[in-house]
Amino acid sequence: MAKKRTKRARERPVLSGGRKSVLVVLFVPSVERDGRTLIDQHHWVDAALEMFGRVFGGATAYPQAKGIWRDDERGGALVKDEPVVVHCYTTPVGIEDSRNLAELGSFCRTMGRQARQGEIGLVIGDEYFAIRGFAEE
Amino acid sequence: MKTELDMDKIAGGLGAERRGKVSATGGYFGAMQLLAEIEARFRVPAGGGRATDPRWTERRLVPLAPRTLERLEAITAKVREHDGVNVEPMQLAALLLEKTTEQISEDEAKELVRPRRRTSR
Repeated sequence: MAKKRTKRARERPVLSGGRKSVLVVLFVPSVERDGRTLIDQHHWVDAALEMFGRVFGGATAYPQAKGIWRDDERGGALVKDEPVVVHCYTTPVGIEDSRNLAELGSFCRTMGRQARQGEIGLVIGDEYFAIRGFAEE
Repeated sequence: MKTELDMDKIAGGLGAERRGKVSATGGYFGAMQLLAEIEARFRVPAGGGRATDPRWTERRLVPLAPRTLERLEAITAKVREHDGVNVEPMQLAALLLEKTTEQISEDEAKELVRPRRRTSR
């Protein structure tokens, strides 16, 4: 026979934070801006998962894909890449929280600077955001 | 109802430039995402057998409507035929269940299990 649940257990919220209806997509690159020098992609995928887990409660990294990026600041040079796409579902409140945004932005700038990128791309909801200018920091 | 996000606030908080709308919504049940998820997560157990997610350690009997099972069978058959990815109907059910429970809110869950009044004839 099944045990009766205590009142305390029934009242405890099991699903905190609302509906995770906002998809955040981060592209983790495989090469530097020159298109040739490999970066430590495993390290950045692990770091991204850790950050998303801590800040938003979870994420999924998909297998390596094929990508291309046009670097307009270098005469439109095409940078071929094998990015890992990381998906994270969060709540509208979670994504608009200034501390969460600061952590996510800081992670993107650190990755952009250390992995020598021209741009770090993020899709949040139905909009693309570009983070640039890492060298200035 | 779709929640409107304050995209300017998000861009400001990130220190990012808004570059415009994307057409794909990234809906979870998109076939490509589902395939990628299966390929990323499923592993053949050390002792052999069918590939599965190693984190799925709990087993329960889940009653289903025949129509639901037929739908799961049809989707997995299509995935196998077109993409060569072997996934069993109940593995697909586990994946969908996991994602839905991650996304549903407390209020939606309460609404779902709330007893409904039947209309009397």
